[in-house]
Amino acid sequence: MRITEGIIANNILGNLQLGQQQLERLQQQASTGMRINAPGDDPVSTQQVLQLKGVLQDYDQYTRNIITGSAWLGQSDNTMAGMGSVVARAHEIAMTMANGSYSATNRANAAVELKQLRSELIQQGNSQMAGRYIFGGFASDKPPFDATTGAYAGSDDAVKMEVGQGSYVSINYPGSRLLSGGTPPGSSGVDIIGELDKLTTALSTNDVTGIRAALPAMDAAQSQILAARTDVGGRMNRVQNAASNLESLKLSQTAAISDRQDVDILQVISDLTRQQTAFQAALSSAAKTSKLSLLDYL
Amino acid sequence: MSILGILDIGRTALAAQKAAIEVTGQNIANVNTPGYSRQTAVLETAPGGQDQGIGNGVFVASIQRSYDRFLQSQINDKNSASGEQTTEQAALQRMQPLFNDLAAEGLSGSLQKFFSAWQDLSMNPQGEAERQSVLAKAQTLMDNFHQISNSLTTVKQDANQSLGALTNDINNKTKQIAALNIQIMQAEQNNGSANTLRDSRDLLLKDLAGKVGIHSFEQPDGMVTVSLARGPVLVEGNRSATLDLQADAANSGLYGIMLTAPGGAAGSATDVTSIIAESGSGSGELGGTLRVRDNLVNGFAAGLDELASTLAVKVNGLHAAGFALNGTTGVDFFTPPPAPVPPATIAAGFSAGIALNVTTTAGIAAASTDPTLAGNGTGNNVNSLAIADLKNLTLTMSGGKTTLTGFYGSLVGKVGLAVQSSQQNGAQNSAMLKQLNMLRESTSGVSLDEELTGMIRYQKAFQGAAHLITTGQQMMDTVLNMVR
Repeated sequence: MRITEGIIANNILGNLQLGQQQLERLQQQASTGMRINAPGDDPVSTQQVLQLKGVLQDYDQYTRNIITGSAWLGQSDNTMAGMGSVVARAHEIAMTMANGSYSATNRANAAVELKQLRSELIQQGNSQMAGRYIFGGFASDKPPFDATTGAYAGSDDAVKMEVGQGSYVSINYPGSRLLSGGTPPGSSGVDIIGELDKLTTALSTNDVTGIRAALPAMDAAQSQILAARTDVGGRMNRVQNAASNLESLKLSQTAAISDRQDVDILQVISDLTRQQTAFQAALSSAAKTSKLSLLDYL
Repeated sequence: MSILGILDIGRTALAAQKAAIEVTGQNIANVNTPGYSRQTAVLETAPGGQDQGIGNGVFVASIQRSYDRFLQSQINDKNSASGEQTTEQAALQRMQPLFNDLAAEGLSGSLQKFFSAWQDLSMNPQGEAERQSVLAKAQTLMDNFHQISNSLTTVKQDANQSLGALTNDINNKTKQIAALNIQIMQAEQNNGSANTLRDSRDLLLKDLAGKVGIHSFEQPDGMVTVSLARGPVLVEGNRSATLDLQADAANSGLYGIMLTAPGGAAGSATDVTSIIAESGSGSGELGGTLRVRDNLVNGFAAGLDELASTLAVKVNGLHAAGFALNGTTGVDFFTPPPAPVPPATIAAGFSAGIALNVTTTAGIAAASTDPTLAGNGTGNNVNSLAIADLKNLTLTMSGGKTTLTGFYGSLVGKVGLAVQSSQQNGAQNSAMLKQLNMLRESTSGVSLDEELTGMIRYQKAFQGAAHLITTGQQMMDTVLNMVR
C-alpha cells in the first residue's frame, strides 16, 4: 500500500482521538464512581437499577409507615394498661363491698370513687395521639366516648397501614370493642362502662345482691382489656419483625444496585493508568514519525 | 540522424521534464487540499526519427489523475449513512438527559414520591401537611411530564426547522454539479484536461451524499447523472432539480419536501418526503432529520403520553369513588379526563396538557365513605391506601403487563437502547469511512517523499537534456570548424 503524509496524519489524529475518548470515559467513571452515567451506557442495567431503586424507596416508605404505626400501637398499649388498672380497682372495690360488714355510708363513698374511675376510663378511651383519637376508628377527629353518657360515637373500622407490598397491619383498636363490648353495647363482649354504671347504682343504693352480681362482669372486663392488649402486643411484634426484615432487605437491595451501577474503582484506576501510558506513547510516536521526511535530507 | 536531430531531442526532453516538474509542483502545492487527486505526467517516446527508428525524443502524452471510481462511490454511500446516523445521534443526545434518571431524580423519582405522599396520607388522612404534600408531589410530577413532553416537541420542531437550511444546501450543491457537468464536457471535448474540475465535482458529490442518499453515474460525455437513492433525478446534464418545503396538513402542519424535476415547470413539484425518509440506512442528514421528526421523537412521546394517560385513568377512577373531607365525591384528581380505555385511544400530547383538577387540600378524597356522616370520620384512609397501592399494581399497557414505574423504566431502557445502537453504528460508520478514506488517500493522495524523488529525477533529466543540447552545439561547432 502506498502511504502518504495524509494517511499518517489522519491515522495519528484518529488514534489520538480514540485515546482521548477512552481517557474521558474512564475519567468520568473514576470521578462519578459509576459505571453507568446515562441510559445509553447500559440500557438493560439502567432499567434494572431504576426498578431496584423504586423497590428501595418502597422499603423506605414502609419503614416510615412503621414508625408512625408503632407509635400508635405503643400508645394504645400504654393506655390499655391504664384501663386495666382502673378496671382492676373497680373489681377490687366490688369484691370488698360485696362483704356484708360494710355500711351504707362505706358503699356510698365507694360509689363516689367508682364514678371517678368511670370518668378516668372514659378519659382514657378519648386519649389522643398527635391530635387524633386513637380509639375512635375512622372517626378519629372527635372524642369517641361521650363524657357524661359514655356512649361510643366512633366507628368500628380498622385503620390499616401498609408494612410491605400488599401486607397490612391495623394500627388501632376500636373503642367500641374495647370498652362498650361492641355496637350496640354489650352485643359482642362486656359493656364495661355500662357495668360500672350498674355497680355504681348498686353501691349507692346499698344493694349487696347487685354488687355481687357485678363481680363476674368485672372479671370479664379485665380479661376483655387483657385480650385487647395481647392483640395489640402481637401486632407490635409483627410490625417490629417487618421493620427488621425491611432493614435487611434494604441492605441487599442497595448491594444489588451497587453491583449494577458502581465501578470497580481499582479496575478503573488501573485502566486509567494504562490508558494514560498508551496515550503518551501515541503522542510521542506521533511527534517522532512526523519528523521523518526526505525534505530534511535534500 | 542529423546533429539538428540531436538538438530537437534535447528540446523535447527539456519541455517534457519541465512539464513533469510543473505537475510535481501542482501536487506538492495541493498536498493538503481536500478532494485533490494526485496527477502524473505520462511521458511517451515521440515516434519517428530517420535512422534505425530510435524515436524522436519525448512528449507528455497526458496528465493522468489517480482516481478510483468505485472507491469514490463507496465513500459516498458511507457518507450518506454517516450523515443520517450523526443527525439521529445528535437528536438522541439531546433527548437522553430527559430520561436520565440515574443522574437526577427525574420522572421515575417524582412518580415514586407521588405515591409515597399517598402512603403518608394514609397514615394521617386528615393531616393538612400530608394533604399539602400530596398536592405538591403531584404538581412536581405534572411539571416533569410537561418538561419532558415539551422538550421532545422542541427536538421535533428543531428538526422540522432545520429542513429549510438542508434543502437550500442540497439545491446549491446540485446546481453547482450541473454547472460543473457542462464545463467538464466542454473541456474534455477539446482534448483538454478537466482533472481539477472533476476533483471539485467529486467533492461536491461526496458532500451531497452526506446530506441526502444519492445514486450517481457518469455518462459517456463525462457528465454525471445524480438521482435520489430511491427514485427521482436530481441532476441531469446541466440541469438540476429543486427541493422546496410545503406545510403538510396530514402531518400536523410539519414540512413536506417537494421536488421539481430538472427543467420541470413551476408547480409540477411532487412530494418526495417518504422517498427520502425510507431509503434504508443511507438517507443522509435530510433522511436522518425526517426520521428524528417523524419516528424517533414520536416513539418516546407516545410512551410518555401512555404513562400519563394510564396514571390519570387509574388515579381518577379511585379518586372519584372516594370522599373529600367535606363529603364531596365524584371528583377527578387529574384533568383533562383521559379517554377511558388505554392504550387504544391515547391523545397525542396528553402528557403536555395533564394538570391537577383538585387544588385544595380539603378536596383530596382519602376516605372511602362520607366522613361527614354519623359513625364515619376523617380518619378513613381506605381510598388513600388504594391510590398508594396503584404504584405496585400490574396493569395491561402497550408493552405488556407492567406497573406504572416499570413502564417508565422500560421507556428509559428504550431511549438507552436507541442511544447505544446509534453510538455503535456511529463507531462502525466512522471506522469504515476512515478505512475508505485511507484507501482513497493511498490511491489519490500526495506523498511528499514521492514527489520530491520525482522532482530530483525530472531535475536531473532536465540537466541531462541541457547537456545534450550543449553537446549538440559543440558537435555543430566541430563540424563547422572542419570546413574552415
